[in-house]
Amino acid sequence: MSETSTRRKFIDTSCRVLGFAALGGAATLLTKRASAQAVYQVDPLKCISCDLCRTSCVLSLSAVKAVNEFSKCGYCMLCPAYMDVTSQPDERGVPSGRVCPQDAMKRRVVGKEDLDDPNNNYYEYVIDEARCTGCGKCVKACKPPAGNGSLRLEIRYNRCVTCNECSIQIACPEAAIVRVPTPGMSPVETHGGPPHA
Amino acid sequence: MSLRPFKTSTVPRFAGPANSVSGSSGAGLTPVGLRPASLELTQPPRGLPLRYTPSATLAARGSVSEFRRSLSGVAVGPGNTVYALGDDEVRAFDANGGVVRSWKVRENAACLAVGRDGRVYAGSSGRIDIYDAAGKALGGFAAGQQGRPADVSAVKVFRESILVADAAARVIRRFDSGGTERGLIGDRNKTGSFMLPNKSLDLDVDAAGVVYATDTGRHQVTSWTQDGAMVSAFGKFGMGRPEDFVGCCNPVNLAVAPDGSVVTAEKMVARVKVYGPDRALLAVIGPEHFDGACTHIHLAVDSNGRIIAADPVRRTITIFGRS
Repeated sequence: MSETSTRRKFIDTSCRVLGFAALGGAATLLTKRASAQAVYQVDPLKCISCDLCRTSCVLSLSAVKAVNEFSKCGYCMLCPAYMDVTSQPDERGVPSGRVCPQDAMKRRVVGKEDLDDPNNNYYEYVIDEARCTGCGKCVKACKPPAGNGSLRLEIRYNRCVTCNECSIQIACPEAAIVRVPTPGMSPVETHGGPPHA
Repeated sequence: MSLRPFKTSTVPRFAGPANSVSGSSGAGLTPVGLRPASLELTQPPRGLPLRYTPSATLAARGSVSEFRRSLSGVAVGPGNTVYALGDDEVRAFDANGGVVRSWKVRENAACLAVGRDGRVYAGSSGRIDIYDAAGKALGGFAAGQQGRPADVSAVKVFRESILVADAAARVIRRFDSGGTERGLIGDRNKTGSFMLPNKSLDLDVDAAGVVYATDTGRHQVTSWTQDGAMVSAFGKFGMGRPEDFVGCCNPVNLAVAPDGSVVTAEKMVARVKVYGPDRALLAVIGPEHFDGACTHIHLAVDSNGRIIAADPVRRTITIFGRS
């Protein structure tokens, strides 16, 4: 009797231990997977382009970059994020100053260029990420109503070193750095062409 | 363990719109994106010959006629009745600001016009709907090309012509009263269409039938015959002189007064300006009257020359008269 009872107790204990071990293992696995599939990203609706992304990243050149969402971009000749529209106009009446202190925003004419009148051209604006510091000056200048709001700041994962605790997230006054899942995200940049062309 | 870097084309991002105005509660007067050096633009210029002041407000906040969700168009009908489009309905206001009648229109209707006969035309994506003065639906017609419906951002009526601004094709389409397309306006300039970085085109017609349109990318108001021949253009970019148009793409809206004056609305510095028949700047209605986040200020002018301006952010209509 007592022998049977001991064996039962042993089997019972073993099952419990195995069960707990399996549960623990599964939980660890799920947590690891979830952590691997969640990344830090800038919420453009919260971001105020305060310049802290530039100064707070552990990298000397921040992992945060400006990106242009071409489907929203107006391909303006007088892009308020590219040109300092308040600066002195040149001989053609085009503002001579630039918004980006690093000259990281480049533009090129879409299609055949009208050299006589720049107002007859559409321009595509792209960010040179090697120069962009993530200061957000262009993003701020592009916000409606001045611009179409096509520019935003974004953490670039080919630069991000995936700190356990993102230093920009700690510094962000608007809690705009959040964890987002990676699957199912649509591409950032799709070069479309001028609006309604 | 090191994570494999994402390719540029697969960087996770937020799918939501990024075009919100940071911190915009709809009350600020400071133009978003402008640096302090140019804040003098918000001050009214001196020495202009005319001055306009608010004489009445329609659909005021808290009133029974308040628009709760949207205000996307304004027009003047016979007897200077003000019609407004918002909350998916058309409302006609009497002289005291009361709503004399209202009726539902197609969801997301974007603009409206009123003919001399009192017929009301409401434009929505790819379609114009027509109503009689009492709001009874009379039918309508499709606008645009096959597979590419017109992005109708403005509609106006001149005699038998219905003029539809198609911001998708960047032209003005002229229809007869039966809805048959009779011609295009704006397709014969150098680029074959209007330059519209802000993806919106506004128009109005004067008493002689000359069509005025906003060419926002060129910072101009252009005028055209009904057949599509260009008549004239005025305006240029500038951040200093009040007669110039600021920002990337202005003017965003316009209306023509009975005396031939052209009234324009700008974004970035939300203001309304009046240009005389010789296109000299006569008056500026400053940004203190509008929300700084406005990307449009819908305009109409009544037979007395009063300017009806609809602020879509505050969702109020202000009538400005000469003082």
